[in-house]
Amino acid sequence: MRPRARPGGWDGPAPGRPVLTAGEHRDAPRRPDRPWPSFHDMVSRLSTLESAAVFFSLPEATLRALARRLRRIKVSAGDMIVFQGEPGDTIFIIERGRCRMVVEKPPSIVTVALLSEGDFFGEGATLLNRPQQASVYAQTDCYLLALDRQALHTTMAGREHPALDELRQVADQRFRAFADTSVQATWGLLLQEATVVGVYSPKGGSGGTCISLNLVGALARRYPGEVLLLDLDFPYSHSALLAGLVPTSCLARMSSVPQGSFEEVLLSAVLYHPTGPMILPGALRPEEADEITPELITKAISVLRKSFSYIVVDLGVTITDSTLALFDLTQHVVVVTAPELSAVKSAADAIDILVQLGTPHDRLSVVLNNRSFKPAVTKSAVERSLKRDIDVQIQFDGSRPEQAAVDGVILSITNPRSEIAKGCEALAALLDSKHGRQRGPEPAAAPAGGESVLAGVGEAD
Amino acid sequence: MPSRSPAGMIHQATAGIRRSALRRQLQSVAAGKSTALSIDLDQAGVDVGEAIEEITNRLPMESMPVQRLVFAFKRSGTADRVVERLAAKSPQQRARSARVVGALQLTEAVSWLAALLGSRDRAVSDAAARALGKIGGARSATALVLAIQRRGLNRRLVAELARAAPDLFVEVALTEPQRPAVRPALAIAAGLRRRQTAVGPLIGLLERGSRRERVIGCRALGWIGSRTAIPIITRALGDRDWKIRMSAAKALGALRAQSAKDDLKYLQIDRNARVRKAAAQALYRLRPR
Repeated sequence: MRPRARPGGWDGPAPGRPVLTAGEHRDAPRRPDRPWPSFHDMVSRLSTLESAAVFFSLPEATLRALARRLRRIKVSAGDMIVFQGEPGDTIFIIERGRCRMVVEKPPSIVTVALLSEGDFFGEGATLLNRPQQASVYAQTDCYLLALDRQALHTTMAGREHPALDELRQVADQRFRAFADTSVQATWGLLLQEATVVGVYSPKGGSGGTCISLNLVGALARRYPGEVLLLDLDFPYSHSALLAGLVPTSCLARMSSVPQGSFEEVLLSAVLYHPTGPMILPGALRPEEADEITPELITKAISVLRKSFSYIVVDLGVTITDSTLALFDLTQHVVVVTAPELSAVKSAADAIDILVQLGTPHDRLSVVLNNRSFKPAVTKSAVERSLKRDIDVQIQFDGSRPEQAAVDGVILSITNPRSEIAKGCEALAALLDSKHGRQRGPEPAAAPAGGESVLAGVGEAD
Repeated sequence: MPSRSPAGMIHQATAGIRRSALRRQLQSVAAGKSTALSIDLDQAGVDVGEAIEEITNRLPMESMPVQRLVFAFKRSGTADRVVERLAAKSPQQRARSARVVGALQLTEAVSWLAALLGSRDRAVSDAAARALGKIGGARSATALVLAIQRRGLNRRLVAELARAAPDLFVEVALTEPQRPAVRPALAIAAGLRRRQTAVGPLIGLLERGSRRERVIGCRALGWIGSRTAIPIITRALGDRDWKIRMSAAKALGALRAQSAKDDLKYLQIDRNARVRKAAAQALYRLRPR
């Protein structure tokens, strides 16, 4: 397209400045840089600015000037707004929605703050010229008001109000607080503590227990003797039975154990499968499930994390206080669904809940377990319903899982060519690529690098 | 070429003395030793913008040396004169003034610089673009985007847009409806900025964009170094358009994507020579070191 010629030519005088040359009439700018905010828009911007503690005390004129220079940005849920370690020049104020601020030190990830309306972030990079200390994700659809460095200084420079200094103080305080948190985030890494993976199947019969058991088998091939399955699928925990083991104790019975001998008694309740994986039953009888409290789970996980590389927790179907406590302790959540209408709907709701609880999208994987030869709901339809990609798909495996349960074997160890084993191997590779890099040399069974791991997941599709 | 005649040598020496005096004066103000500033903008052989840039180069606008200089320029009335000269008849004067405005990061002059972006004189429009890049902020970035709308994809404008754009400006603009030339320019700017926040919009561009947008989207993802984009770029290796295949091969080479090695090897027998060459170069970058 040919550019439109400006009347008078581009070499003519700049518009909108009557003092430039006396006696010469100049037009106002042909097109404003940005549309002027409407009255209602300004009211909304001002109320958001006033809800931010630092801007609250600013004089009316300064607030209006700031409000005029704000950019309104819509960010979809799950999108990244600020990336840790990158430079930044904009303060974001949340007008609507919720955001999550995380400090990431792979494989650990620590949620530093959950931000809502009136909260702001990005001030450290903008005012202190330091790289962003934390990443910020939109937890829900968000409307943000963005105030860039130039607009801030143009408005505040030369004014007597000390708001800019106050902002700098806030930025400095936050910087120091996050620096401490960032160090804490590395503790798990330094101590070589276990990665806790929660396997959640919102609909019964989707194969959650079978996948947990085989995932433990696949991980145990990579880390022999370092992988534990904690069975919290209440009221009937059958992982030990499926693996052909006979439990004699369980986590629920640890509630009455004195603090001094807790670790010893807990580790003595762990069952050893001859092929490598270990299993700790949650409860042996349905009524014992009531003994499992969030405090007991937190205590047990803190002990187990020191002894294993991976702890896979079979979370079962229901969401209880204990399950919620465990979600806080997990580094990764695997949602298992079957290609059935009710299972997909339940999985979509579960993913929503997990996201609201603050699980980042990259720490959430979805496994589609085909329980029939020709499923009624296709993979693409499941992805549409879940509004995200399926990470691993497990093809129909005939009667092999049932036969393996009868024989008391774990397919991912005894029959690597079975579909369950292939799917769980891909899932293990995915988990390993995200959490297992810095745990020393990789075993021969593991793929060489992250790329091939992801390719393996793709092939499972 | 330096003049060898006596008059020419005297002229050069005088200009050198003037430049030195100006530099000393500016350094004294920037260091806070003096607040008085007396500058003749029309001195022969003296580029005020260059002298200021020597002091303010890479300093943020809120740093004390820049603030002191701006204050001294405003107090002495020189800042007003510089802005007024943005509308002077002489292209040299306009270009020099734009340079001074950029070096001092005078946000008040953004509207006048925006008008200069449409100048027929290349030196003027480039100086205005550079000044806007240095000033930065949403207003400068918007002015540059509008200029790209009018003039099409221009190297200088895109480079300065990458420099001027504040956080999420390019990312948001990439997801909005734009004129044909603008989205490729935004994609290049996003790539030049190398921000991970742009990965999502660029992947969207790669999936839904026009042929040209996909070509640039691939390269931009390669520049950013986004490993999450490797699967989608690898898929682009099988595109019908040779430019997209070539661009994807280059991006995978930049990303050192070992997972795409087999696909790149397959591309070495592509019917297009440039694709074959890009694939070979990418494979060379993937070799073990």
